[in-house]
Amino acid sequence: MKRYLFGIALIVAIIRPGVLQSQSISDLRINEVMLVNQSNYMDNYGNRSAWIEIMNLGYNKVNIANCYLTDNLNEPKKYRIPSGDPLTLIPLRQFVVFFADGITQHGASHLNFTLDSTKRFIALISPDAKTILDSITIPALKANTTYCRIPDGSDNWTISETTTPKSTNDVFTQKVSAGEKFRNFDPTGVIMAISAMLVVFSALLVLYRIFRTIGKINQRAVVRKQEKAQQPKIAKNEAETEISGEVFAAISTALYMHETESHDRESEIITIQRISRHYSPWSSKFYGLRQIPTRTVMHQQKK
Amino acid sequence: MENTGFFSFLLDNLSQFYSYTGFANFTLGHGIMIAIGLIFIYLAIAKEYEPMLLVPIGFGIIVGNIPFMPGYQLGVYEDGSVMNYLYFGVLKGVYPPLIFLGIGAMTDFSALISNPKLMLIGAAAQFGIFGAYIAALFFGFSPEEAGAIGIIGGADGPTAIFLSSRLAPELMGAIAISAYSYMALVPVIQPPIMKLLTSKKERVIRMKAPRQVTKLEKILFPIVGLLLTTFIVPSGLPLLGMLFFGNLLKESTVTKRLADTAKGPLIDIVTILIGLTVGASTQATTFLTPKSIFIFILGATSFVVATTTGVLFVKFLNLFLKEGRKINPLIGNAGVSAVPDSARVSQVVGLEYDKTNYLLMHAMGPNVAGVIGSAVAAGILLSFLS
Repeated sequence: MKRYLFGIALIVAIIRPGVLQSQSISDLRINEVMLVNQSNYMDNYGNRSAWIEIMNLGYNKVNIANCYLTDNLNEPKKYRIPSGDPLTLIPLRQFVVFFADGITQHGASHLNFTLDSTKRFIALISPDAKTILDSITIPALKANTTYCRIPDGSDNWTISETTTPKSTNDVFTQKVSAGEKFRNFDPTGVIMAISAMLVVFSALLVLYRIFRTIGKINQRAVVRKQEKAQQPKIAKNEAETEISGEVFAAISTALYMHETESHDRESEIITIQRISRHYSPWSSKFYGLRQIPTRTVMHQQKK
Repeated sequence: MENTGFFSFLLDNLSQFYSYTGFANFTLGHGIMIAIGLIFIYLAIAKEYEPMLLVPIGFGIIVGNIPFMPGYQLGVYEDGSVMNYLYFGVLKGVYPPLIFLGIGAMTDFSALISNPKLMLIGAAAQFGIFGAYIAALFFGFSPEEAGAIGIIGGADGPTAIFLSSRLAPELMGAIAISAYSYMALVPVIQPPIMKLLTSKKERVIRMKAPRQVTKLEKILFPIVGLLLTTFIVPSGLPLLGMLFFGNLLKESTVTKRLADTAKGPLIDIVTILIGLTVGASTQATTFLTPKSIFIFILGATSFVVATTTGVLFVKFLNLFLKEGRKINPLIGNAGVSAVPDSARVSQVVGLEYDKTNYLLMHAMGPNVAGVIGSAVAAGILLSFLS
């Protein structure tokens, strides 16, 4: 029992709750915030206001509906993001923007509070209204500048004059491929060769160890099975010793007769059932011949 | 006057028609590539070098190098063309895992299960991949390109196509052609290296007959193999997942129809598509470059390194094995995953020195381990470089 409990505990330890939530609202981050919007991003009504960009860091769609946005942690349920709006479904690695303009009648993306140079706190709360998914206190910002994470979703917050609502904050950072990064540390490729071979060897080594063990266990099981199968045979042999002499005599007589009596192999079948051969012109050879082939006739024709 | 107008109209049309023909658009490059395609078909039919692959590839090379006026949705690289749609499966790495499904359904891992230490030979032969990676970096290829070139040493066409489609799609044609060419040349490349690295005494080592493997072990192998390898290298999942799935279909014995489809019609269809489209992707303009020549040189290097390390690793392993349990180093070459060609080479070379020493079944162990090893290596390269 203890062993089972240990196994369950191990599985629970491996599959941590954090991992289970990985394709969920825990992937949401406040990614970029603008407080003073004078000549920047406009909403569908042509108005400019403070805005908050939220990013889905995961590799699956996340529904943000029923989460809360607030500027005061004492009021975690200040603005509930409504459900049923296509805006609330954020595709993988994509963004959604909310306008902190206090005009909720303009749609689900318009909050019921405002942000400005004095109100500089924003928090994203989970639907249970208790778990803070993300929160940030924004420093004082000049007009048309944002406070954003570079790279997206990272812990590195920066004040940026380049604003990127609904798109990545990494646009101006130089893209270096993974291969080039690797080359910087390993220009000759030797480290790659060693580390990769270690992984290949360890993978196949573990597979080898497992199958050696399985093989041994299996062989033992086969031997045990064979031993078990032999036991009734021995018992049977013991039973055979008790067979009476008449049986042996009968077998010996049969063998003797088989060896001494010489007779041909018969093709017929011996039966006690009545056999009758019915006449039919279809099976008659006589009717099948068009001309009776006699030797005399043949000679005469040759002559 | 009308006649003149008609003739000039006719001449204009004919000259326009001529400008569309292959004759008007023909270049020396097209000629060279068509000749290469014909050589492939000759090798496949006359010499029977990997005909299942070389006939579709060879014909694909000819198809891909028929000269035409661009812009009519004809070529493999032109959006919307039929060939482009078929090429999608190569470009997005769809075909290679399907081929692995078929390989899994036709591979018997018994030799490996009965003597699991042969797996290590399959791992050792993967040095060829990383040897070629180092060489490619030295010759100025980018790390992604070097990784894609290195995988030629895995001697596994689908893996090479899969990895190059992810890391260096522009080199895929040259890499695939190189990989398949060297796979076809395994009986030519490997024996001299094997003979050079082994003594006469080593070549006649007799190995213990493999024990009988139970059905349970055969069923457990794909399940444990999948869990273990993909937990270590998840990026190898498309290849390894399909390989082990195909093998489970075979070994479970209750899905015979599915296994038969996977190893029969399915793999045949995909082989036709992959062969033809990879061949067609070698258009003269993209294929006839100095890079392609380097790729061929590096491909040969990786094959040589893989064979060498496989044989040397067996010799190294023998240092620790008792008499009677030693491994014949002639099966070391089979670590490259050209199934079953490299195992057949072990058998042929082994029989040259002892007419009664049959190494084929022993060589199949490292051979199929090589398939797993090269897929794992591809996964590592993918996770490091993409």
